[in-house]
Amino acid sequence: MVPITHFLYLASTLFVIGLLGVMLRRNVLIVLMSVELMLNGANIALVAFSRFHGNLDGQVLAMFTIAVAAAEAAVGLAIVVSIFRSRTGSDIDDLSLLRD
Amino acid sequence: MSGSEIVFYVFAFMAIASGIATITRKNPVVAAVWLVASFFAVAVNYVLMSASFLAVLQVLVYAGAMMVLFVFVIMVLDVDETGAAESRRPSRVGRFGYYFGLLLSGGMIVWVLLATLSKQFITPGARIPPDAEFGSANAVGRLLFTDYLFAFEAVSLLLLAAVIGAVVVARSRREREKEALAAGMTLEHMHAAGLHEHLQDQDQHEGMVAGPYAQTDFGEPSAIGHEGGN
Repeated sequence: MVPITHFLYLASTLFVIGLLGVMLRRNVLIVLMSVELMLNGANIALVAFSRFHGNLDGQVLAMFTIAVAAAEAAVGLAIVVSIFRSRTGSDIDDLSLLRD
Repeated sequence: MSGSEIVFYVFAFMAIASGIATITRKNPVVAAVWLVASFFAVAVNYVLMSASFLAVLQVLVYAGAMMVLFVFVIMVLDVDETGAAESRRPSRVGRFGYYFGLLLSGGMIVWVLLATLSKQFITPGARIPPDAEFGSANAVGRLLFTDYLFAFEAVSLLLLAAVIGAVVVARSRREREKEALAAGMTLEHMHAAGLHEHLQDQDQHEGMVAGPYAQTDFGEPSAIGHEGGN
């Protein structure tokens, strides 16, 4: 049987890969995909604890995470479409309207 | 090494490698396909953790619906433009922010690994093998509609709000103008609501950088708007 630590290694590695993508990439589409990777890492941790404590609550919570991720992707992509309508390019460093 | 361990290592490696490929690809379409591969590998890991229903959900919702949404948006936008959008120049946050992000991520993974290595999470319950019902649609559904009923309904409301919000945000200004006219708004009302802006474009002085909405151009302005302007 695979020990829980190995699932947690996988979860933390996926989370950090997503975090790196969010911090280092400037293409807004890839930043959104990296957020999905981070949510996947969190889900793996939830399901791993759920399995190893014999308690189903973690899986239900992971299900809610998937639903919230779907909502986030829908709204995020709508914002991306709106950004592309009003200006060219998808560089998130150019989007400093609220700061200027 | 047992069969489940081999499956775990193969698919954990696949998930991580696909994740790295996702964040390093230049073309968003290629990145999306790698992300689908990562989602499938994660679904296999769910099965290993006896979360079969969640694995089905992962494939259906993540790899199916959500990635179709991503690819559709990339296709609707100009693909060449999204691919070339990321320039090589240093980010506006500067070198410091760049390396600080790298350091923060590295520190985070070290922290998580140290916490994991100390094995303080493992409880005696970890060795109890689950029964066959564990993680099935039956068991999860029973929990979802009893203990988590309120959260379930709240999530359905959240999805409704997200759909409406997405439609409202992604509408073009021409559509908004048309709807405003259909609702009986006059040009002055639309102007006050910021929907109709090419009247004030003329008296903006040249040095001023127009806001994102002022320079928005959705093709030809609608004929009705021009009539009203004259």
